[in-house]
Amino acid sequence: MRLGKGKSLFAVTASLTLLAGLTACGGNSGKEPAASPNNTEKSAAESGASGSQAPAGETVKIKFAGWGDPSEKEVFTKLLKGFEEKNPTIKVEYLHIPADYVGKMNTILAGGDAPDVFYVPDGDFGRWVSQGLLHPIQDFVDASSLDTGDMWESGLLRYRYDGAVNGQGPLYALPKDIGPTVLYYNKDLFTKMNVPFPSADTPMTFEQLLDTAKKLTIEENGKVKQYGMGPIWWEGFVFGNGGAFLTDDRREFVGNGEAAVSALQFAADLANVHKVVPNAAALKDMNDSQMFQTGRLAMMITGRWMVPEFRKLGFDWDVAPLPVNKWAGWSGSVGIGIYGKTKHLEAAYKLVEYLGGPEGQKEQSLMGFAIPSFKSMAATDVFLQPGQKPEHAEVFIKAAENQVPGPWTNLPNAKWFDMLSQGLAPMWDGKKSAADVLNELKPKIDAAIKEGNPALFK
Amino acid sequence: MKRKEYAWAYLFISAPILGFLLFAFIPLSYSVYVSFTEYSGYQAPVFTGTANYVKLAMDDELFWKTLFNTFYSALSIPIGMAVALGIAMALNQKVRGIRFFRTMFFLPTISSVIALTLLWKWIFNDSYGLLNYLLELIGVQGPAWLSSETWAMPAMIIQGVWAGLGINMVLYLAALQGVPKSFHEAAEIDGASRWQRFVRITIPCISPTTLYILITATITALQDFPRFQIMTEGGPNYSTTTIVYYLFQNAFRYMSMGYASAMAWALGLLILAITLLNFWLSRRWVHYD
Repeated sequence: MRLGKGKSLFAVTASLTLLAGLTACGGNSGKEPAASPNNTEKSAAESGASGSQAPAGETVKIKFAGWGDPSEKEVFTKLLKGFEEKNPTIKVEYLHIPADYVGKMNTILAGGDAPDVFYVPDGDFGRWVSQGLLHPIQDFVDASSLDTGDMWESGLLRYRYDGAVNGQGPLYALPKDIGPTVLYYNKDLFTKMNVPFPSADTPMTFEQLLDTAKKLTIEENGKVKQYGMGPIWWEGFVFGNGGAFLTDDRREFVGNGEAAVSALQFAADLANVHKVVPNAAALKDMNDSQMFQTGRLAMMITGRWMVPEFRKLGFDWDVAPLPVNKWAGWSGSVGIGIYGKTKHLEAAYKLVEYLGGPEGQKEQSLMGFAIPSFKSMAATDVFLQPGQKPEHAEVFIKAAENQVPGPWTNLPNAKWFDMLSQGLAPMWDGKKSAADVLNELKPKIDAAIKEGNPALFK
Repeated sequence: MKRKEYAWAYLFISAPILGFLLFAFIPLSYSVYVSFTEYSGYQAPVFTGTANYVKLAMDDELFWKTLFNTFYSALSIPIGMAVALGIAMALNQKVRGIRFFRTMFFLPTISSVIALTLLWKWIFNDSYGLLNYLLELIGVQGPAWLSSETWAMPAMIIQGVWAGLGINMVLYLAALQGVPKSFHEAAEIDGASRWQRFVRITIPCISPTTLYILITATITALQDFPRFQIMTEGGPNYSTTTIVYYLFQNAFRYMSMGYASAMAWALGLLILAITLLNFWLSRRWVHYD
């Protein structure tokens, strides 16, 4: 093995290069801050007025990027075809990124030549918009025939940005979809164990949840064979108990307040004291949907997006409001935004409006993943889809009305939230009380808010 | 005539040199510069001197925690090498169906990392996972592997050992087949036991391979992160956030590309130092022919 040395030196160089490569992608992007939030509004208005993009009759070509499973790809291929038929002067190239969408988009955006229109997950919106990567669309929306009054306010507000925080200011994207979170339950298990179904109109209180979950938990020889309740999506529990994570001005962490602390303590106790929830409560994605699908979970929390998958299940199931005392919780969403440096602003906006507007929303709703952005459309068979599960689809409508964006969408830099969700571990393990954990986290989280979001403190 | 040949020679070697300059040297140098700036990755970098390095050394608990985690996870290297050698020796026998077994052990190497980690998530499931089921058969109550601050990293080490097994095993198998039979025969005649032959003959003869695996595995381990991202998301309580995972989060999630570059260089220099140390130490235990 005489080659050993040369080979590993190569490996060292290669590894350094790889690391450096991460940073180098951004090389040529920095020089020209394309659309900093402050000057974009003006340019939007300018180009909106002049319409200089494409002289009449000339064809423009725009790029559109998104992800999604094959069924979503199919729907979007169809939608884009419809769009091109409606707008013969615009050709759309569809860039389908099946895996690691955000990672790839980060690289593409840093490279400075991104697609004109692309999916913007609400959790990434703050970061991208604060870096001037998205073009404001407020003026276009105002001038269009879109009826924003008919759209879910919580769907729109998460795509607003005022230069420091998300959730207020002009609009930068339209929701592609909005996915409220609800309680799914296995009706067959409820019937078998003679437990009444949860109400579709009134959310369970914490006590009722505990009571129901206890009845549905089966223990044999000290080992739980069936859990009454799946992992706790704790953010919703805090909201439902009247708690909050940040102050209204978003400068300070208040998750150590009384309501939040008692909600989180209750959530931790469900697993550690009452043993009606699997241990893995700290991790959202611990196979809970597989456990539900194999009948080992009687109830679980998840979003609308699981409906197509669950429709294939062999047992009967339905949905109920989140069991958090009142109608509350968070909804997920993906938006459709315009690249800050696009050369075809008008064509790009037309596509955003088409996909986020009634036509696009109708086609997407039929897939079953999400609730349409328009309240009036949600109330029709397009969304309710009678004859298909879930029977009480209107639970999603009520949830969409009452649920807020997830706390991780609240600030451009989400490090504070990562610190919170990581830091809760000793509480889930039952080693520390919720109060202790949150009080210890508060100064660290406050520091992360301040360090990561300087615009907020100017 | 000679001059012309030189011209041609330079022309031919210009492609790799240009390639190196464009795709390695310039980006590398740029990242050195960036590591001294505040840079979001999207807007122009602002020079801040050594601020990033100062923060790294003095002000960031998480950097040190993730550095510790990275070395902790590197425990999978010695364990993995020992297991791989054991299996390679077992597979170095003349038995029926040996090809089948060799293939089986190599299989993880050619499978997708994502698929494997998803599989292991199930294996580690505390209530219904295979591992805790097996532990229960011998009367042990297994922990909630991935959601326990104490057990998440050991679980990742187990998974890391398993994932690296195939390639190390093949390397060891090749090395074992290169050990001259005459050595063993001579030693056997002199009355050396199996263990003595293993320690005195096999181990020195395969030491160049051991060095190769050690160095490549160290570099890989210090840069490991996708499987952590998928299996534990770095949790619970950052117990499985490795340094490159944290670097990645800084670069692409927290908009601190400059800080991430500083971290990359700190890590790069650390890897270089460890590799050089390995080479230096190797003079004592690696035998060529």
